[in-house]
Amino acid sequence: MIEHVLRDLNGIEIFGIISVLLFFIFFSGMLIWASRLKKSYLASMRELPLDGGEKPSNHPATHE
Amino acid sequence: MSPAVPQSTVSPAPATSPQIETFKYDNAIVRAFAIATVIWGIVGMSAGLLGAVELFFPGANLNFQFITFGRLRPLHTNAVIFAFVGNGMFMGIYYSLQRLCKARMFSDLISWFHFWGWQAIIVSAAITLPLGMTTSKEYAELEWPIKIAITIVWVAFTINLMGTILKRREKHMYVAIWFYIATALTVAVLHVTNSMVMPAGWFKSYSMYAGVQDALVQWWYGHNAVAFFLTTPYLGMMYYFLPKAANRPVFSYRLSIIHFWALIFVYIWAGPHHLLYTALPDWAQSLGMVFSIMLIAPSWGGMLNGLLTLRGAWDKVRQDPMLKFMVVAVTAYGMATLEGPTLAIKSVNSLSHYTDWTIAHVHTGALGWNGFLTFSVLYWLFPRLYNTKLYSIKLANYHFWIALIGMMFYVVPMYVAGVTEGLMWKQFTPEGFLQYPNFLETVVQVVPMYKLRAIGGTLYIIGAWLMAYNLYRTARSGVFAKDTEAQAVPFRSERAVSERGPHWIHRWLEAKPLTFTALSVLAILIGGMVEIMPMYLVKENVPTISSVKPYTPLEVLGRDIYIREGCVGCHSQMVRPFRSETERYGEYSKAGEFVYDHPFLWGSKRTGPDLHRVGGKYPDAWHYNHLENPRSTSPGSIMPNYPWLLSQKLDTTSLPARIQALRKIGVPYPEGFENGPAQKDLQAQSEKVAANLKLGMITADTNREIIAVIAYLQRLGTDIKAAPPSGTVAPPVSPAAKPNASDSHGQDVRATTTAAK
Repeated sequence: MIEHVLRDLNGIEIFGIISVLLFFIFFSGMLIWASRLKKSYLASMRELPLDGGEKPSNHPATHE
Repeated sequence: MSPAVPQSTVSPAPATSPQIETFKYDNAIVRAFAIATVIWGIVGMSAGLLGAVELFFPGANLNFQFITFGRLRPLHTNAVIFAFVGNGMFMGIYYSLQRLCKARMFSDLISWFHFWGWQAIIVSAAITLPLGMTTSKEYAELEWPIKIAITIVWVAFTINLMGTILKRREKHMYVAIWFYIATALTVAVLHVTNSMVMPAGWFKSYSMYAGVQDALVQWWYGHNAVAFFLTTPYLGMMYYFLPKAANRPVFSYRLSIIHFWALIFVYIWAGPHHLLYTALPDWAQSLGMVFSIMLIAPSWGGMLNGLLTLRGAWDKVRQDPMLKFMVVAVTAYGMATLEGPTLAIKSVNSLSHYTDWTIAHVHTGALGWNGFLTFSVLYWLFPRLYNTKLYSIKLANYHFWIALIGMMFYVVPMYVAGVTEGLMWKQFTPEGFLQYPNFLETVVQVVPMYKLRAIGGTLYIIGAWLMAYNLYRTARSGVFAKDTEAQAVPFRSERAVSERGPHWIHRWLEAKPLTFTALSVLAILIGGMVEIMPMYLVKENVPTISSVKPYTPLEVLGRDIYIREGCVGCHSQMVRPFRSETERYGEYSKAGEFVYDHPFLWGSKRTGPDLHRVGGKYPDAWHYNHLENPRSTSPGSIMPNYPWLLSQKLDTTSLPARIQALRKIGVPYPEGFENGPAQKDLQAQSEKVAANLKLGMITADTNREIIAVIAYLQRLGTDIKAAPPSGTVAPPVSPAAKPNASDSHGQDVRATTTAAK
């Protein structure tokens, strides 16, 4: 029979508390950071997919 | 707004400028993955349809063992997830990554190694799974040599991905690339962690983990495979292809940033919702539930971001089938990600778990989100790859409607079936007895829903064939552009701009992909660690039950046949601590009963009844007759016949390797047991089963597979009924490790079920 080493589980609830703390720290930081991003930067970023090369210039594509 | 001018193709800077680089995008690899997506999609869906038919017409396999439901189900799930969505993901990534990075893929050689390696893995899965070579762990069924091959091919893909990002000419990494990075790295972590097995031959292995721990690792993997294989790469594709199709930028880039970080951080925490009401510590269950509910926020943020991108462009949705597919895909994503957290609420889960509700839920995601988004991208890509127009918009519209109706015909009956099953299983009479004590009554009730589901699946597949024809004709009408030439200025030659303010962190981060990658991995590992820690703690805290012993040699072989046949696809082995379950099945399952279960076989669906307490419930002869023809003992049963178990000779030559492998991972078989005693033990037990069959007027050879299966079934759940040896007391159960012991009616079952403690 495998010998299972039993460990006292008292205080294991600390994992839950740590989890919640990590969560709030992470999200508070992320939200603050995201809210302070410059509009000009965001505007340039959202244009990136439209700056592609999927349409060979000599071949206007598809049904659009 | 007007579309941005594609710098690299339409308005190149003067060719004399030394800063301009000319390069080519690789379209051939994109086309290869696109074709594979279509082919494997139809194959995978067809396997699912055959399985669906077998669930109301069990003779549909024509007594052919390789396509019984148990073997077909993993074939279907693997084909759809890894072949259809996998190839679809690579198609989208290889196309968009090159254009977002303004660079050809890092290495053509690696690209093609990735492509052919992945197809070889799919073919090997299509061969081995029908042969019954399976680990039985959901979405990780492939045996160890294929697992190694997956690891190698995935590493190649990751190198190609990161190499392309590192040599990119566009300084900024668009959010789609973040999702691709998260996909590559997290899937690698998940796959390796869940693939820890001990080989017992070339195509047989045992999970290194056992019982509760194996279940926790498996569902940490399973849940996050959904997140990082089926969701994040497709979100990346959504963020690229939706703006492309709508010809307008994403609604809110800020929201997409929040979507990314929130999703990858939160998703990884939510795995325990697959194991509610098990031996997982209560706090972990609650944490999993809470984080699952939190997931609604980033998921819906992403969905709204996608839909709002179409603001002002809804007229295009009416005209463009590609956008129609995309809108339904994003909406299905929203629906599935609202439903998922709902199902993670413990009280809802107590009703929905093991029922067809889960099947409805996953197919909302698979058919709606992954399927429709893949179709959308295929319709968008083919005309561009072939420099032509789509062959028939009308046909694409037919596809859209037929697939949408097919999806409705699939999921709605499954919702009805799921709720019906959940309610019938729990229904008590006023006198306090189960209203439907015979499980079969609940099966017969939902068979009409299974028929409707097959109609839905048929429609969906017809739609896929229409698309295949449409794309084929599109290809025929155009000229394939193997490469697309483009020009761009490498960002490294730009003078660094002095940046101030909070946004510099972001710019710095995304300009350093390796740092970004490390932080992404950190984000998923934080949640992963919090989830993994209890797994290891649980291993050490599983209350031992002294009467629980390792399986006998014959039972080991019987269990392996049970795994081979995919019985776990329809039968759970986990009696939850609800009165409705203990009344139906017996004592609720204890963590300590599974310490020798490599792998665990708790299952996730009850098309048939739970089997954890089936041992000793019926005579051996009943099992013999039932396996030969389930309808002979259970009229109306939808279980397939297993006549080959009666005729196939039991392979005992592999027994020593199996015993040795199990010993290496902790099952306490004595040294040398496999060299002689095991065979003697096997023979003695086989003769005992044959003698029992004689009592039922059945003459059977002792060396047939069915003897081993019966031995295993008769062992199930019986250990705790044996009196523990005097003087041995199982360690006490910590309150934190105890399963929640009340059912949805608030019935405390612990008071009457403490025999094993």
